[in-house]
Amino acid sequence: MWETTVDGRVLHFHLAGINNQNFIMRDEETGSWWQQVTGEAIFGPLKGKRLKPVFLDELTFGTWKREQPQARVLRPDEQIAASGKYAPADWEERMLRMPVATQISAPGLDKRELVVGINVNGTALAYPVTALQKQNPIIDKVGGTPVIVLMSEDGQSVRAFERKIDGQEREFFLKPSSSPMRLIDDRGTEWDFTGMALNGDLAGKQLPKIAVLKDYWFDWKTYNPNTVVYTLGDR
Amino acid sequence: MEDLLTKASARTGTHTGSRLIWLALFGFLVLSIAFVAVPVFLIQPFRPQTQRALEVSYLLRAWSPLATVIILLAVFALASWQWKQIHRWWRKALLLIILFLSIVPAWFARQNHFEWMFNPLHHSSYVKVADAGFVRDSDMVLAVKLNNEAVAYPVRLMAYHHVVQDTVGGTPICATY
Repeated sequence: MWETTVDGRVLHFHLAGINNQNFIMRDEETGSWWQQVTGEAIFGPLKGKRLKPVFLDELTFGTWKREQPQARVLRPDEQIAASGKYAPADWEERMLRMPVATQISAPGLDKRELVVGINVNGTALAYPVTALQKQNPIIDKVGGTPVIVLMSEDGQSVRAFERKIDGQEREFFLKPSSSPMRLIDDRGTEWDFTGMALNGDLAGKQLPKIAVLKDYWFDWKTYNPNTVVYTLGDR
Repeated sequence: MEDLLTKASARTGTHTGSRLIWLALFGFLVLSIAFVAVPVFLIQPFRPQTQRALEVSYLLRAWSPLATVIILLAVFALASWQWKQIHRWWRKALLLIILFLSIVPAWFARQNHFEWMFNPLHHSSYVKVADAGFVRDSDMVLAVKLNNEAVAYPVRLMAYHHVVQDTVGGTPICATY
């Protein structure tokens, strides 16, 4: 998700091609080509410019609408829906069987394995979704920054935060049998899935958000060649 | 005798000229097709791409709208010239075919064939959460919140359109997937 204003001008993007299974966008205004995953112009008059990222959550609709009951949702185009061109309900499972055409070497994980990717202080880290399903939340430290990676009770929505509030590092635990899910920190404060404190002195405080990209391992590795992979039992 | 020789050599000269024009016509046609076909070949979805291949594709895509029209004009000029020189009907037919085929790349250079496969949403429209019966609770959405305006883009729709332009909380954005 990108802001589309570059040097004071709003650009309009179109699908223009594909680069090792990540698509290329072309802007109407200058004809430059942009890599979708990095937001960087790779060819054309704006080559080298970067779009400003917009903070994005990838959540289940159920989890999101509980947080944002008054919001709006993109509507399907009726003609396209009628012609059956939209992805079927089970398209994610189907994608797992699609071929991977990049020539990158990505040892360690299956190329189509889903990972939760984050970038903290210039360090790229990939948490396999399977690891998160076994150990939730994952408490970690990336380049000196304490982080928490968290999956909601729907088993699909993932968020990451810095484990630091008012300059103090916190440990977090899943509150047993809570629904919707709650975390408890080492001082007894409860937190919800949005990273907000629910009680005590900190009530209403928000943990600093870290952008998460749920991605296939081969794609994450292509654009983050130096990424570290989290393995269970690291700490 | 001398007169006959001159005539003969003149005829051979025209003959060679005519051959050159045919050669040029075919050459231009192939060049024009290459301008649009090479990027399509290099940027196939389930093939790996190198940086060089992408650069070549970008240059060809960027220049093909102009190049294919210039080639079309050249083909038209040569074909008009040739039309007056030839008399057999099948040669004239061949000229017309070459001319017609040169129009195809000039037209294709103005198309975005990726948008044939994945139609863009020119005017995205939205519904309230409560009216979004087309999304199930277990479906994934891309969720964004800017200046207290929250919007969700269902992944199943995004996986088809790939790019959706919007303005959220006053900020022009594009949702991509």
